[in-house]
Formats: sequence, structure tokens, C-alpha cells
Amino acid sequence: MSSVPTDRGTWRLVARRDFWVRIRERSFLISTLINIAVISILVLARASSAVGSGPSFDLGSVGSSSIATGASQLGHDAQPPIPIQVHAFPDQAAANAALRDGSVDAVVVDNQLIGFTDIPDVLSSLVQASARNVAVTALLDRHHVPQEERDAANDPTPLTLAVLQPAPPHRSENAAVAFVGVLLLYGQLFGYGIWVASGVIEEKASRVVEMLLSAIRPKQLLLGKIIGIGTLGLAQLIVISSFAIGLAFATNAIDVSSSAFGAAGLVIGWFILGFAFYATLFAAAGSLVTRMEELQNVIVPINLTILVSFFISIGALQDPNGRLQVIASILPTSSALAMPVRIVLGAAPAWQIVVSLVALVGSTVLLVPFAARLYSGAVLRTRGRVRIREAWRAAE
Amino acid sequence: MLELIDLRRRFDDVVALDGVSFEVPEGRIVGFVGRNGSGKTTTMRIALGVLHADAGRVLWRGRPVDPVTRRRFGYMPEERGLYPKMRVREQLVYLARLRGTPKGVARSRATQLLEILEVVGDPNDRMETLSLGNQQRVQLAAALVHEPDVLVLDEPFSGLDPVGVDVLAEVLRGQARDRGVPVVFSSHQLELVERLCDEVVLIDRGRIVARGSIRELRAMRARNLWRIEVPAATDGWWEVVPGVSLAARDDGAVVLELDGDADPQRILDLARAEGDVAAFGPVRPSLSELFREVVAE
Repeated sequence: MSSVPTDRGTWRLVARRDFWVRIRERSFLISTLINIAVISILVLARASSAVGSGPSFDLGSVGSSSIATGASQLGHDAQPPIPIQVHAFPDQAAANAALRDGSVDAVVVDNQLIGFTDIPDVLSSLVQASARNVAVTALLDRHHVPQEERDAANDPTPLTLAVLQPAPPHRSENAAVAFVGVLLLYGQLFGYGIWVASGVIEEKASRVVEMLLSAIRPKQLLLGKIIGIGTLGLAQLIVISSFAIGLAFATNAIDVSSSAFGAAGLVIGWFILGFAFYATLFAAAGSLVTRMEELQNVIVPINLTILVSFFISIGALQDPNGRLQVIASILPTSSALAMPVRIVLGAAPAWQIVVSLVALVGSTVLLVPFAARLYSGAVLRTRGRVRIREAWRAAE
Repeated sequence: MLELIDLRRRFDDVVALDGVSFEVPEGRIVGFVGRNGSGKTTTMRIALGVLHADAGRVLWRGRPVDPVTRRRFGYMPEERGLYPKMRVREQLVYLARLRGTPKGVARSRATQLLEILEVVGDPNDRMETLSLGNQQRVQLAAALVHEPDVLVLDEPFSGLDPVGVDVLAEVLRGQARDRGVPVVFSSHQLELVERLCDEVVLIDRGRIVARGSIRELRAMRARNLWRIEVPAATDGWWEVVPGVSLAARDDGAVVLELDGDADPQRILDLARAEGDVAAFGPVRPSLSELFREVVAE
């Protein structure tokens, strides 16, 4: 007769089952595809706007084209370059027609710069500068200034650039990465949390839970379920982030030197911590009811918490140091979503990150025995909804 | 030996168990009989640790049962249920592994049990595609798949067809006889309990009201009744024997109750003097009758 010395580690069997059963479910495949589709749209949208982001202009000229070609040369020399294509028109009528159909942004006619409804600032400053150059050149010509003096005057040593408070590098890229990250985190925390709750209900509704609890302890069952489903969520998150980063690099939506890898790491790390926190709550909530239809009723408070945290985190993209955002990034009920955004944006000082981590991990550690007790008190009551107090008292 | 000692449990204001004690010796089959709501399921849940007792102890081989020893128990809950979408054999292997059986052993054992229990269908079918009777057999396989040291089965026969009942009865006998497993099961099918069990435990309103072998129960409880059929006899012929009284009339025969000292042979002699004796024999009360008698007190 084989005697089994210990039952520690049976949670691994539970976790493995929950992982493999769900990975084979159609809903897992569908959610992966939807996630990839959404991410692709976001990345491609950014990639196309990145290509069009450097401004370029079409400049028409009537008569002498020296101002227009001068502006084009200035644009070419600018850092980053501003391409200006020059189009010559025989008369004003032809130029006006081109303005109307939008094939040129503005037209230089003698000492006038004409736009259709308005003239882009960048273009107008370049044309003004070019006009000054033409005037100055004409003046220098009249005074027969030697070429070397002109060159000296035209090539002054550029000014050294300095700022008092440098903005974090890649600010806009980081905001984009943080946005995608928080979106992913929200989806995973929410979706997989619900999966934990419905997994608990499924075992209760099919009555298999009594068989399970005659074999293993409630804590092992709870732990295995959370870890199994969490691992699946993590695996999906890794697949989706790898895909997103690969696509972003391939389409030049982000720069290789940006913090995309770091952000992906942050999202994954905070998913693990945040999932442990929320999933424990979801599991306890799920154990209170018997039918799937009742699930919504018991998870409303958790849903709202995650939703509010999500909106605060979206707000943090604009204002990472707002008071609400700072508080939300430290409270364990919302830090899993809010803190990674502030870290990616470079807005969170180290002490806040540490406090936030300690609060999240610490509260999860405190929450687990509480949830496990509710779970063991409620999970065998298969008739109707169990009140929290009843569940608490039923277990000892 | 599995020992239940003075188990007590209340649900709010209802006393479900009021000091339940009995034991199940190794290799013996014990029937657990009582009306609905008398405390059978509560007792079994406590024995399996899925429910806590307010007081009392459960011992296995003299030591308190803990979650680790309980893994060697086999259980069939009253509330049947397995994973509906999981494949039959995969499910059995999973449950066996939860109780510490190695994967390979669990797999061959599951295959074997599905054959022994005559589960119709492929071991790779999903549970929900099986008929209820077949699901019931798989549930039994789930109680047996880890080769348990103890079997606690709550209404294992309910829902089985007569063939299924015979198959299960044979399996339980085999477990007790060949592996020395103590088996306790509850049932309302009292003829079956009578046929299968070495001992019977009667529970009523949370108390054990009688326990022992069927023979012991009869000796303890039943009246000493004899049924005699003498077509030619004059009525009241037995009255000359002291300590004999009429208990009932039954289709031309009489059922006489004898006091402790009265000799049945004396009655028979008297009856033959009256005429030809068509039938003569003791009346053995069935378990149902004993049960009703006990519960009625």
C-alpha cells in the first residue's frame, strides 16, 4: 500500500489542469487573436503617423524663384530636414488653381506669400528667412563684398543648446508604450480574474468540488487555480507583448533605443503582482455563488475597482504626477495599473515605487488567508448564495 | 479500523449529529441506514474531512485522521459531480494524482476500472456525453481509482440499474475481501444492505440507535415469532401452552409469539396432534421491519 508522506505541492496538479484545460478552450484563442488585432491597430496607427510626422511642403512660385529655392535649401539644411518641393507657375491664375486643389501649400509671388486658407508656420518662417537672405545677398552684391567675408558671415558658429530641466527622452514614445501597456494590463487583470471566479463557480456548480476537497485542502485548490490561470494570463501577455514589440520595430513605430523592452518587463512584473491581488478577491467572490448568472452580482465591487484604476491610469498618461495618480499608484487596489504607467513615463521616484510594491505584496499576503477562509467556508454550500459572514463562520 | 467517536455537529439551531460513534473494521462492509435527514451524509462528510465536526474524533488505525491520511480514503459524495467537459479517463487520472497516485499507475488503473464497472463508451469521451447511469459508474471509479485504504460511499447504489447494482456489490465485496478495505456505505435499499453487509448501523435524528450484524440486530430487537399453518386445526389450539400468544393471522396460518421459555418443538407437537402441518417455521423480520421498529420507538 503506497503511503503518501505529504500533500504539499498538490496545487501544482491543480494549476496544471487549469492551465491546460483553458489553453485548449476556444475563448482563449479568440481572446489572444482579439488582443493581437487591437495591438496591431494601435501600433500601425502610430507607425503611419510617425512616417507623416516630419512636415513636408509644396511651395509654388510665380516669376523669380530665388526666394522659393532659397527656402527649399534652408529646409534641406534644417535639423531634422524639412523637405520643400518647389513648383514654378507661369502666372498667378495657375498658382491660385494649384492652391485651391491643394497641390501646393503656398505660393511666392514677388514679395508676397499667398496661402489658400492659412500658411503653415514652419513654411512661412523658412520663406521669410529666405526672403531676407535674398535681400541681404542683393545688398552685399551692390557693395561688392568679397566672397570669403560673405562665407564668414553666412556660417556663424551655431549656438550651443542647453535646457534647465530636460524632459525624459522619448517622451511621446514612452507615453504610447505606457498606453498600450496599461490597456494590456487592464485586459489581462480583468479577463483572467473573471476566469478565476468562473472556474470556482464551475467546480461548485458541477459539484465536483466535494470530490476535490475530499482529496486536497481548500488552500491548495485555491492556490492551484490562481497560479494555473495566472500562468496562462502571463503566457498570453508575453506572446502579445513580444508580438507588439516586434511589430513596432518592424514598422518603425518606435525606436530600438526606446524603453519598450523595459516597459514590457514592467507590465509583466506588475501583472504578476496585480493578478495575485485581484484573483484572490475574484476567487473568494466566486465561491459565494453557485450559478454563473449570479457571478456579476458578487464581482461588481472588484470590477469597479479595476475600472476606476484603469481610468486613473489613463489620466496618468497626461498628468503622471497629479495627486490622484500618485495616490492611486501607491494604494494596492489600483497600483498594479497606475504605477507601471508612472514608471514608464519616468515620473515615479524610487521611494514611491518601493512603498507601492510593499503595499501590494503585503496586502496580498494578508488577503490570501482571509480569502482562503471565505472560500473553504462557502465552496461546499451549493444551494444559493452564501453571505460573507456565514462563509466566515462556517470555516474554522 | 476506521473509528468514529462521539461526533457532534450543529447547523445553526439544528442538531445534525448528537454523538455518533461506530467503527468499520478492516475487511468488513458496514451498511449505514437511516431516514432522510437523519445525519448520514453529515457523518460521512466529517469522516472525509470536507466538513468539520463541532466535537468528536475520527481515527484510522488508531490515529487521528489528517488531510494526508485522508488522501488514502475513497469517497463517493451524495452530491454527485465530476468535470462535465473533461474526458473520462483524464478525469480519473487527475483525481488519482491529486491523492498521490503516480501518473502511469493511475492511468492503467483507470482503464481497468472502466472495464470492471462496465462503463459504456470510449475512455476519451467527455463526461457530459455519457448517460446518467454511466456517469454514476465513473463516479464510483473515481472513488476507487487510487486504490483507497478506506471506502466511504454515500448512496452508491441509487440510480443504478439491477445489473449495475450487482457489478457494484461485487466490486465492494472484492475490495473488502481481497484488499481488506473497510467499506461503509449508506443506502435506502435495505434488502441490498441485508444481502451485502456484515454489519448495519442504524441512525435516527443524529443518534446511532442500533448497530451489529443482521443476526445480532434480530436477536436484540425482534420478537420470537413462528408461523404455523394447520388447515384442520380448531382455533385457539395454542392457548394451552404457557407463554404463547397470537401475534397475527396470515392467509390461513397463524403467527405466534413465544416468550423466552416457550419451546417451539412443543408447539409443533401440539400442532401435529391437531392435523397435518402444512407449514412451520420461524418468522425472520427483514431489515426494513427491524428498521421501522427501531425508528418507531
